[in-house]
Amino acid sequence: MSQIINRRKFFKETSFSAAGIMLASQMKVLLPEEKTKTAYSSIMNEVLRYRKIDAHEHVSLDFPVETIIDFADRLGIEKLAVSRPIAAGVEKESKPEDFRKCNDLVLKAIKQYPGRFLGMVYINPIYGKESLEEINRCIDQGMVGLKVYNQVKINDPLFYPIIEKFIDLKMIILMHAHCGIGVGGKRTKYGNVQPNASVPEDFIDAATRYPEAMFQYAHTGGGGDWEYECKALKDFPNIYVDTSGSNNEANMIDFALKYLGEDRLFFGTDGSFYQGVGTILASKMTDVQKKKIFFENFNNILKKAGNNVD
Amino acid sequence: MLIDINANVGHWPFQQTNCNTCKELLERMDSYKVDFSCVSNMNGIFYKNTQSSNEELYNEIMSDSRFRKRMIPFAIINPIYAGWKNDLDVCASRMGMKGIRLYPLYHDYELTDPSCIELVKSARDRGLIVAFTIRMVDSRPRAWMDLSKEWSLKDVIPIIKEVPDAKYMILNISSGVYLGEEDTKLITGSNVLFDTSGKNLYDLDGLMTKYGKEMFAFGSHSPILDYVTGMLRIESLRDNEADSATRELLRSGNAKKFLGM
Repeated sequence: MSQIINRRKFFKETSFSAAGIMLASQMKVLLPEEKTKTAYSSIMNEVLRYRKIDAHEHVSLDFPVETIIDFADRLGIEKLAVSRPIAAGVEKESKPEDFRKCNDLVLKAIKQYPGRFLGMVYINPIYGKESLEEINRCIDQGMVGLKVYNQVKINDPLFYPIIEKFIDLKMIILMHAHCGIGVGGKRTKYGNVQPNASVPEDFIDAATRYPEAMFQYAHTGGGGDWEYECKALKDFPNIYVDTSGSNNEANMIDFALKYLGEDRLFFGTDGSFYQGVGTILASKMTDVQKKKIFFENFNNILKKAGNNVD
Repeated sequence: MLIDINANVGHWPFQQTNCNTCKELLERMDSYKVDFSCVSNMNGIFYKNTQSSNEELYNEIMSDSRFRKRMIPFAIINPIYAGWKNDLDVCASRMGMKGIRLYPLYHDYELTDPSCIELVKSARDRGLIVAFTIRMVDSRPRAWMDLSKEWSLKDVIPIIKEVPDAKYMILNISSGVYLGEEDTKLITGSNVLFDTSGKNLYDLDGLMTKYGKEMFAFGSHSPILDYVTGMLRIESLRDNEADSATRELLRSGNAKKFLGM
């Protein structure tokens, strides 16, 4: 039976026993409709006030480049560091012909939208020789860093020549990462719950072995336990962290700032554009800190190899 | 005007959150010029007796006239716990609660449990809104004592089928927002309001085309999620996607109508 209750009847039936007391739920809207410039209506001005480089984004056949540019334009993202990785165990094996195709897709996007995309090379370290050749091919065409997935952990010896190559190039290595519970069926055991994905401890191992290398720990909002991640990575200054991902928990940015400081955090989206921007804007960061995370920190990394944005 | 149809106070036991009190929520609302918030007390998700959380919320709201003017309280009711009928009556008739929020995963019952159906019908008969949160937190980085299961939008379909004439708020839609034809027809033919906090609402323009612009309203899912993202999904719409009238519906018009304000 439909019960659309007349508001007057509803108010009468729900009147307080304490006379004279009214909740917002029980009253007509009393606040003035007309306001001057309000925070929500000017939120886009705030969004567009910050220059932005997205340090973690992808191109794929399923996610048209036009859609990425549309989000970027909407939210004032000048440039996006993009890659096309292949997830082990999810898609086909990443053979040299496969990762070359992935990088060709990135190169195509760069040409399609000149000045908007920064290419991140994708390789599979299992194929060492072919990977180094592919790095040379892509860097020659203007790519600015490396993005790797979960074929090989970041601290696997197979990775050593790749890391050394990027030390020479003065470019950053962005690695997919994950840290969750449930390892080995243990409810409270933290670690790698994705096949062969790198966990904070793997990054620490690699970063300790190669203190001159620059590592980018992927997506604090990507489903890992960001509190665990930030605490684990606290004392390793050559591990940077991007804040991309769909999990826009309110305290994530301020927590990352507390443990990692304002110079090691990068803004990123990983396809979650609203969350990537929203979490930073909503944080307690100062204006200077927001400028750093949105733009300057990643630009400083690019600057080391002369790829910075003016 | 801006109305947040999805705010919470109270404690989240697995992680520190800020803005857990009405005072802090009001400060946040003021800073973003949010006029009203529909708010419930998260403690009720974890208390065995949810009515204690409703009493806490009521007492907190009644402690300050500013809270009374700006907070729209929603009770948390567990229909498989003793005394829920009396709790519902107290919440509706004495505490002025405007709706109820149900947490079947946390309280471990099915939506088609006869007690749940009876509760939803009772809420409907009192003109109360029935709110479901698709997920409270992302289950991937969950704490070891938290749930590993999440809902998607289709999981609320059974109760809408059972009680199609109730008023439903569906909050923090993290997955499954693109329903099949039959379920879409059911949703659009029912009295349903979605909030904008959920990660699955990355294409609000397209969703308004699918479901109708009257079915969406600003929601923050504060203090679990950041306060801005749900707002950005509305404010970043281009003029050809949402004219000024549509924006006002999303900011407050749809919520006002739904809440009977």
